[in-house]
Amino acid sequence: MGCASSKQFSRSAPVHEDPAVLASQTSCEHLMSSLPPSHTGNDGAAADCVTLTDPGCCGCCGCLCGSHGERLYKLYKKLSFSIVKDGLIHKEEFQLALFRNSNRANLFADRVFDLFDLKRNGVIDFEEFVRSLSVFHPKAHISEKTAFAFKLYDLRGTGYIEKEELREMVLALLDEFDLCLSESTVETIVDNTFSQADSNGDGRIDPEKWEEFVKKNPATLRNMSLPYLQDITMSLPSFIMHSEASD
Amino acid sequence: MAENNNSRNIRGRVVQKGYKRPEFDEQYDTTLDDVDAVFNDSEEHHVTEKKEEEPVALNAFELISMSAGLNLGNLFDSEQEFKRETRFTSKCPPKEIVRKIEEAAKPLGFDVQKKNYKLRLEKVKAGRKGNLNVATEILQVAPSLHMVEVRKAKGDTLEFHKFYKNLSKTLKDIVWKSDDVQMQYAA
Repeated sequence: MGCASSKQFSRSAPVHEDPAVLASQTSCEHLMSSLPPSHTGNDGAAADCVTLTDPGCCGCCGCLCGSHGERLYKLYKKLSFSIVKDGLIHKEEFQLALFRNSNRANLFADRVFDLFDLKRNGVIDFEEFVRSLSVFHPKAHISEKTAFAFKLYDLRGTGYIEKEELREMVLALLDEFDLCLSESTVETIVDNTFSQADSNGDGRIDPEKWEEFVKKNPATLRNMSLPYLQDITMSLPSFIMHSEASD
Repeated sequence: MAENNNSRNIRGRVVQKGYKRPEFDEQYDTTLDDVDAVFNDSEEHHVTEKKEEEPVALNAFELISMSAGLNLGNLFDSEQEFKRETRFTSKCPPKEIVRKIEEAAKPLGFDVQKKNYKLRLEKVKAGRKGNLNVATEILQVAPSLHMVEVRKAKGDTLEFHKFYKNLSKTLKDIVWKSDDVQMQYAA
């Protein structure tokens, strides 16, 4: 697996050290319109974060004012410079971060990467990183997490989760954990769950059925919340208010 | 065919009168509501069911969600240093797993509370951030295969990490596969 050359991508904006400046270069219109003038300067000082008191700031770029938001940006910088030094997260860098192994191919990591890559240009930029991660904030709305998980599991993007897709994912998981189960056991696992979720028996799970299923089995979405995000972002309600802007 | 016993919200009626839930910092415990619900049943006076309880079965999506590729907390791992939860699989019968965990935890200085296939381990001696409190649960993947989740409920993460290292040494004969990402995927 070769590393994609950064020349391939049309994005030419240089990556700045100062998160506030970087934010102003993204298309996060919420942030741009609400950052007070003093924060668009280059000092990047850890001043008191005005977004705490300023309801206008969506904080969707992880509250870039002040020291807290910088932690998310620092993480992004680390990931995006780990292999291809262009300030964008490539698939190998994503894999390296998740598995400590840049060559590890994983069905689920692929799905996550694709969903993060909103512009579908093969890399995750800072805005995409923050927008997608915001779904994982513990206080993000459950409907966002539900929808994200549905898209994750809808492998072929048909708008439904089919039984074959579920089976493929179960097999991928078992393979990842190096667990050997008989075919019939796997079928039982797939059948049991699928029949629970596919309430009208038409062979596929649509978003409504998925929502019902998740309501009855909340642990299904457990991996959709990252407590750590709560540690490093300040404006909680505003961090998730951006959702109207996406799509 | 499995019915609603696949739900993680246990509706088991078990009484534990006089049990006072220890106070702990809930800040990070967004995922422990179901465990707490079980241990908080002291308000409801229900009769213990006579029938043999079985571990809650993981549904296929819950199983899938355990993939390292779907646990983005790994992105922050070097920031967090030590994980707050981990899991392993075992081919042992679930009752035996419970017994072995209990046997392993007590000599390490832990008080053990059990309810069906959930255990609460509380370190008797207070540590850096209060008494280390660990939640474990045995879940069924398949009748012959169970997953054991071990999560820090309260206390210092480094202490949890040390505890888990000790625990896994003692339990190594019942562990089939462990999910230690570092171990599995280190290049």
